[in-house]
Amino acid sequence: MKKLLFIITISLLFFQPALHAQCGEALKKTALQEMGDAQYIKDFSILLEKSPTEAKTGMIRFNVLLNSRNHYKFNVVNGSMNADDIVMQLYDKDELLSSNLDSGKKYKSFEFICRATKVYQLVFSFTGGQEGCAEAVLSLVKQYSEGQMGL
Amino acid sequence: MYKNFIFSLLIIASVQLFTGCSGCSDNKKSSSGDALTLPDSLITDAPLKLSEEIMNEVIGNISSPVEMAGLFKSSGVEFTQRILNNPDNVSNYVTSYKRALNLGVYSADLGYINTFDKNNVVVSYLLAVKNLADGIRVGQFFDFNQLSRLASSSANLDSLMELSVTSFNKMDSYLREQNRSNVSSLIVTGAWIEGLYLSSAIVRESGDEELSNRIAEQKNVINILEIILSNYVSEPNFADLVADVEELKKAYAPIKITTELGEPQRIEKDGSLIFIQAEISTVHYTKEDLNNIMNVIEKIRNKIVA
Repeated sequence: MKKLLFIITISLLFFQPALHAQCGEALKKTALQEMGDAQYIKDFSILLEKSPTEAKTGMIRFNVLLNSRNHYKFNVVNGSMNADDIVMQLYDKDELLSSNLDSGKKYKSFEFICRATKVYQLVFSFTGGQEGCAEAVLSLVKQYSEGQMGL
Repeated sequence: MYKNFIFSLLIIASVQLFTGCSGCSDNKKSSSGDALTLPDSLITDAPLKLSEEIMNEVIGNISSPVEMAGLFKSSGVEFTQRILNNPDNVSNYVTSYKRALNLGVYSADLGYINTFDKNNVVVSYLLAVKNLADGIRVGQFFDFNQLSRLASSSANLDSLMELSVTSFNKMDSYLREQNRSNVSSLIVTGAWIEGLYLSSAIVRESGDEELSNRIAEQKNVINILEIILSNYVSEPNFADLVADVEELKKAYAPIKITTELGEPQRIEKDGSLIFIQAEISTVHYTKEDLNNIMNVIEKIRNKIVA
């Protein structure tokens, strides 16, 4: 019995870093790999937890300055314990500009061709209000000239 | 005794197991509002006293030198080390104020160097960054040996750029977590001014229109920078820097940015979604406006690196 308890205890102590690893640096590395050939600009660590009084998690918002004529990529990687995939949305104040949730399908990334330099809001949430973590990366895919912006 | 010990260990391990995920991220944010979208009410002449939390949000809004650096190469202008801050100047920077500002300056220079794949000069700039970072007690974020190893081959320059930028971002997050946003704000200011200074040097040589537009578009950023620095105006040296930024804001005053609404577009390509923004902004300025801005930028930058 003592032996069993000892094994369980040691297992629990050593298992704990693996839980941390499902979020932190290891997840960030995966997100950086999935960024592909784009040029890294910034990363975002997301942790959504419920307080004892909350029934659902809320959202996390980051402000990002995006420049006109720049083609950006936003990619996100979910923590392995997440019950659902995270929703990543880009807003200009109250206007939703782009999202990785499109027609009911969740994508790992979306790209955004910016045509107005200003501060935008990058918002992360879970549709069902679950708890979870994720790492996202903002990167630069391409820079267009004035003439190319007619697309 | 042994049983009790095992039992205690088990309890501790279980508690840690079930609370373990609180360490998923070190960047937990409140879900409450306060998104700083620079409403008109914030763009005033009066200095504002902002909370550390809001300052963190504002500082994060200054764009990365990476984006400016990308335009340097496409301008067609040859690389010139002459326009960069000499890494030997590091020994002149003995105050935290000067070290932080010039850490930002050298970070923008590194972006410029990396853009042109000049791995022969990159190490001296990495060393300058490391020295200044050590001087303000954030040197732990720069693994100089790893950065130097990457710099030894031009094949690694993308990785070098990525590692440099992630190191800067980690340092910036740490400074803000430690309530040292004043230091962070100086690094950001130094990087932003140097990015504009390098752009101005290239525009003066080539007349590049893309870079000229990018300089003019920074009118939107000058207000953010003013808010950031005004918050620390009572600290030594900041008042002088705020006065310089205000002079630059005046130079930016004639610049007009208009917006029109086009059609938003959504494209699905190779399993990825691409959204093209409907709003289109256009920047309007004269050569004289741009020249005035570039003169002020050069003046501020030369003061920073002196």
